[in-house]
Amino acid sequence: MSLYRVGVLLYRELVQGPKNIIFIFAVVVPLVLSFVLALLFGTLFSGKPRLGIVDEGSSQLSQSAAAMTSIRLTIFDTQVGLEAATRRGAIDMGVVVPADFDAQLAAGQPTTIIAYVWGESLLKDRALLGTALVAWTRQIAGQELPVTLTTTMLGDTVALPWQDRLLPLLILMSVVFGAMMLPASSLVSEKQHRTLTALAITPATTADVYLAKGLLGVGLSTVMALVVLALNGALNERTGLVAGVLLLGAIFSAELGIVMGTLVKDVNSLFATIKAIGLLLYAPALIALFPDIPQWIARIFPTYYLVQPVIEIVQHNARLADIAGLLGVLLALIAVTGAILALLARRNYRLGVV
Amino acid sequence: MPIPSIIAEQLVYRYGSLLAVDQISFQVASGEIFGFLGPNGAGKSTTVKMLTGQLRPQAGQITILGIDVARHPKRMQARIGVCFELTNLYETMSGAENLHLFARLFGVRSFDADALLRRVGLDGRGKDKVEGYSKGMKQRLMIARALVNQPDVLFLDEPTEGLDPTSAQAIRHVIREEQMRGATIFLTTHDMHEADLLCDRVAFLDRGTIVALDTPHTLKQQYGQRMVYVEVLAPDGTLQRREIMLDRADTPAEVAALLQGEQVVTLHSAEATLEDIFIRITGRGLAS
Repeated sequence: MSLYRVGVLLYRELVQGPKNIIFIFAVVVPLVLSFVLALLFGTLFSGKPRLGIVDEGSSQLSQSAAAMTSIRLTIFDTQVGLEAATRRGAIDMGVVVPADFDAQLAAGQPTTIIAYVWGESLLKDRALLGTALVAWTRQIAGQELPVTLTTTMLGDTVALPWQDRLLPLLILMSVVFGAMMLPASSLVSEKQHRTLTALAITPATTADVYLAKGLLGVGLSTVMALVVLALNGALNERTGLVAGVLLLGAIFSAELGIVMGTLVKDVNSLFATIKAIGLLLYAPALIALFPDIPQWIARIFPTYYLVQPVIEIVQHNARLADIAGLLGVLLALIAVTGAILALLARRNYRLGVV
Repeated sequence: MPIPSIIAEQLVYRYGSLLAVDQISFQVASGEIFGFLGPNGAGKSTTVKMLTGQLRPQAGQITILGIDVARHPKRMQARIGVCFELTNLYETMSGAENLHLFARLFGVRSFDADALLRRVGLDGRGKDKVEGYSKGMKQRLMIARALVNQPDVLFLDEPTEGLDPTSAQAIRHVIREEQMRGATIFLTTHDMHEADLLCDRVAFLDRGTIVALDTPHTLKQQYGQRMVYVEVLAPDGTLQRREIMLDRADTPAEVAALLQGEQVVTLHSAEATLEDIFIRITGRGLAS
């Protein structure tokens, strides 16, 4: 393999790519879908108020916030990070809890917490977070509420907000479509126009060609997925981790695309194949749309291991250790698909097909 | 014979139960134009695919420029040029962009696309998109692309098929230039006339085996029948055609008798064509 030749081929893909309808789709579809969802539901994360905390001690306030399922909590390491996240709208409110906060309250001494509020946050979110902060503070101070509030839940008490349900679909659309379809369609188009045969008798290897095509899909889809998450205010302080997971997911999708491109003969067959396997690819997202379906079924499908780590990070603020198992499966899928690809390349050489 | 550029030994390739190439062996000398002739399905394409490293032989060995093709296909491919029968250019790119792309893939540092385009008669058209080229222009660009790395061995598959006489002549000229530069040319063609014009030696391939291999001249001598074709005016005023075989003991007397006894209108001699010889050897034509 030669990085120089990969670069030459990638440059050609980049120059010619934007003329390809799939390329345009890969860029436009996630953005359009994202804007449509934003129009329908507000931002994807407007369903739950988003609170950020810098806990300089080990306050009970953080534990109370973490236990409350109706808010989305993000723990920040520094005040600077908290302020920046609030400023860009990643959270609705950010509070800095001093190290001696619990002790001061317990001693009946006055104390202060700094709160940053995102100027564009919804009024209901500010009100809810403010009320919750007061309630937690009373709890730590050992003060009883003078009123007992009896609540009765009405309607569907287990329903997930639609924004949460649609997020896996949006991620899969961003990652899988571009990363899989771009290399697949490019490969099939080269087969149809016989240019792949012309490349086959140059010093460029099959791996060079596959890598160049895969890189375009991986790069574009990773960027698009990050853009879509950013547009929806879903990026938290673990953006690097999200980008890494999306990159792995895009690599897996690109491998699937190249396998398909290697096996099918023409663009019509490619689209027929995509239609046939589309349900399998998007199954985890479709299952997430309907919480009544047992969610473990999604684990059967390979793309679950692509989308779920992203969901864990952006919705539950998971760390690398929390998603290590899912990433392990994703890495194994990448290795297996890569091996299949190598076998296919060898078979093609033996049979004289490109 | 000079050092061979191409050595093929006992090549075998089978598609399922169909034996496409059956233990063929041949050598092509450095600087030689070698014609590979045969009807469709004779095994030409399969052989060329094996020679150019696109297909691994199921048995046998290929050495090109001293390189074992099965072991080092990419090392060999860096030193060859291939012009395919069917157009396989990047149509949405310009002619010059196509050449530059392949020059970069071959690692050619200083590449002059304009000079190469001029050589094949496409000067001034380098910036035009290939999709706007005529068939002849595309074929000439394919030849140019095969030359970007100044190959030591050039494989040409039907390079003039379906072209107008001017384009065909331009391509033949380039082929001769390449031979003069020292390149070895492996020419696959149906066109017997072209093979006769260009090739130092030809191999006839039929049903996966080489049935004859020699210079066109020797093959004609060995298998061909030279003839004299005469048109005479009959007493009723119609033109009648006579054929007299040359190289027979009674040929001079037969010709003399004809000239004395008949009113000869036209008379010309003709040697057997390569196609005649192919039919004579295989019992079928090249078009079959």
